[in-house]
Amino acid sequence: MKSKLIIGLFLLLALVQIYVPFSMITKREDVLKHGEQFKFKTAPVDPYDAFRGRYVALRIENDHVIKQGVQDFDNGRSVYAIIDLDDQGFAGFSDLTLSRPIGKAYIKAKTGYPSGSKIYLDLPFDRYYMEEKAAPAAEAAYRKHSQQGEQDAYIVVRVKDGFAVIEGLYVAGQRIEDLVKQENRK
Amino acid sequence: MNKQGVKWLYKEVPDLVVKGILSQETADKLRQHYGQVKGIAKNTVTLIILGTIGALLIGLGIILLIGHNWEDLSRLTRGVISFLPLVAGQALALWVMWKRPGSAAFKEGTATFLSLMVGVSIALVCQTYNIPGDAGTFTLSWMLLIAPIVYLMQATLPAVIYLIGITVWAGTYWNDSFKAIVFWPLATVIIPHFVWSLRQELYVLRSIILSLVMIICASIGASFSLGKTWDGAWIIIFPSLYSIFYFLGNLDSNKITVNWQRPMRLIGAIGLFILAFIFTFKDVWKYGAVHSYGIIRNISDLSAIPDHIISLAIIAVSMLLFYDFVKRKNITVCLFGVVPLIAIVAYFLKGSTGILPIIIFNVYLLFLSVSRIASGIRNNSLGIINSGMLMLAILIIARFFDSDISFLIKGLVFIAVGVGFLVANVALARRLGGVK
Repeated sequence: MKSKLIIGLFLLLALVQIYVPFSMITKREDVLKHGEQFKFKTAPVDPYDAFRGRYVALRIENDHVIKQGVQDFDNGRSVYAIIDLDDQGFAGFSDLTLSRPIGKAYIKAKTGYPSGSKIYLDLPFDRYYMEEKAAPAAEAAYRKHSQQGEQDAYIVVRVKDGFAVIEGLYVAGQRIEDLVKQENRK
Repeated sequence: MNKQGVKWLYKEVPDLVVKGILSQETADKLRQHYGQVKGIAKNTVTLIILGTIGALLIGLGIILLIGHNWEDLSRLTRGVISFLPLVAGQALALWVMWKRPGSAAFKEGTATFLSLMVGVSIALVCQTYNIPGDAGTFTLSWMLLIAPIVYLMQATLPAVIYLIGITVWAGTYWNDSFKAIVFWPLATVIIPHFVWSLRQELYVLRSIILSLVMIICASIGASFSLGKTWDGAWIIIFPSLYSIFYFLGNLDSNKITVNWQRPMRLIGAIGLFILAFIFTFKDVWKYGAVHSYGIIRNISDLSAIPDHIISLAIIAVSMLLFYDFVKRKNITVCLFGVVPLIAIVAYFLKGSTGILPIIIFNVYLLFLSVSRIASGIRNNSLGIINSGMLMLAILIIARFFDSDISFLIKGLVFIAVGVGFLVANVALARRLGGVK
């Protein structure tokens, strides 16, 4: 009797253990399928910091909002960052609000340290996972293409209801995985 | 009484009866009194250890293998693969609970494997979807998902993983004491299992490992989460924490008697000595008592309240246990366990120079080590005498090199220590000579 109860409870636990990763997947799949697509230009990162294990550390170039009244957005506060596009079609942020915006694309994020009238954002994309062997080549390509002058590295992000999921990392107009494969063939 | 002792006694009894030292009736009464020794075969222990190590290795191997040739798979395939380690772990655990509910080895091994696989599955999903490196959230969800395994499978290694995990989690929030403080309620989840493991006489190793990990994690957790709102709070919090370990290790409900089998008593005592020793240095009172080590010090802020509550609770438990041992007139234990009380007094007497606390702690350590030597002499225990001598020697050497103190105080302390040493030595020589 007791062992049946324990096994019953265990089955319940097993379901919860499966549900957590499952819900993580379905939420992101939904965003990738139905979310709005944006391109964010990436900025160079400290080369020693770029690869920790198997991912490219990302830094978004337009990761801040210029706004008066910085004091309302102290460090670590949850905010809605409204997305707008520049003339080249890359995304940036135009405004911050504390309540959910209506009719505009936005990302839910946390504020970082303000600097003057600039409020930096702690965006929910800071890494792009790669296969271990592909890492060094990807690092070289990413660093070259995120430098000043030759800045054509960007990430494609899908956004739905403030939730953002990375779709891909592009360097010189190509997916980084394809670029690494080409490099390897040379 | 110690299990080994009872075993030894039972081996001797037939011989004693034959020689007429014990009557058969007394022998039977003895057996009735001590009851049967619940033995555990050596190979069962080996099986538990090997099974657990095996599970750990397989689990870690799978963690290392993930992501190999991962790129070529579609997102859906990766998603399905993410669940495989988890489901495998669950199936194994279920099989053991169904078919081998009595096997501690199988349960411990599969529970450990499952605990690791929960983490692997979540990590795989994080990798596939480039989920940000919010290590805190990841660790916490992992730990919460494995905590019930500890109870459903009566397994200790998942509890160890859980304790380490919540400590790591608290570490990611070390500068946000409002979050780090949740370490304490999270840690209490393990206490019923710990009590259960102490009651399981047949498996001593289990409670030793768990006690050790609890001591280490509680100490690290305390430094992440406590004493940030109040300057120099650590001077009272840490002695209180270590005195709790020490008192718990001395409780009678714990029947094990060898030092290494009582990590709480051993580490508690060493910790208390080291803290009391640190408190004999001037710089601790000059700098340590006026700074808190956290970067956030909002004494009036609401977020300071949990810090205060947990700190006060730790101090209160320490004082209650101290009172309990005073009531039992257990002087040896009280002499060590009094450190937090002295620390509180010293903290409030510190003034601007900190001279008084230094004198208090020097006198205390001198008294503690001499009384330890004396008690060793009374009980003819060289181990206790040696530990007392070692403590005394450390104190003397430290004072010799500590040139910051004025000559007068230094001289007085030296004279006092010297007198103490001489008296102890004379007594020791006489006593041991007499015994021989």
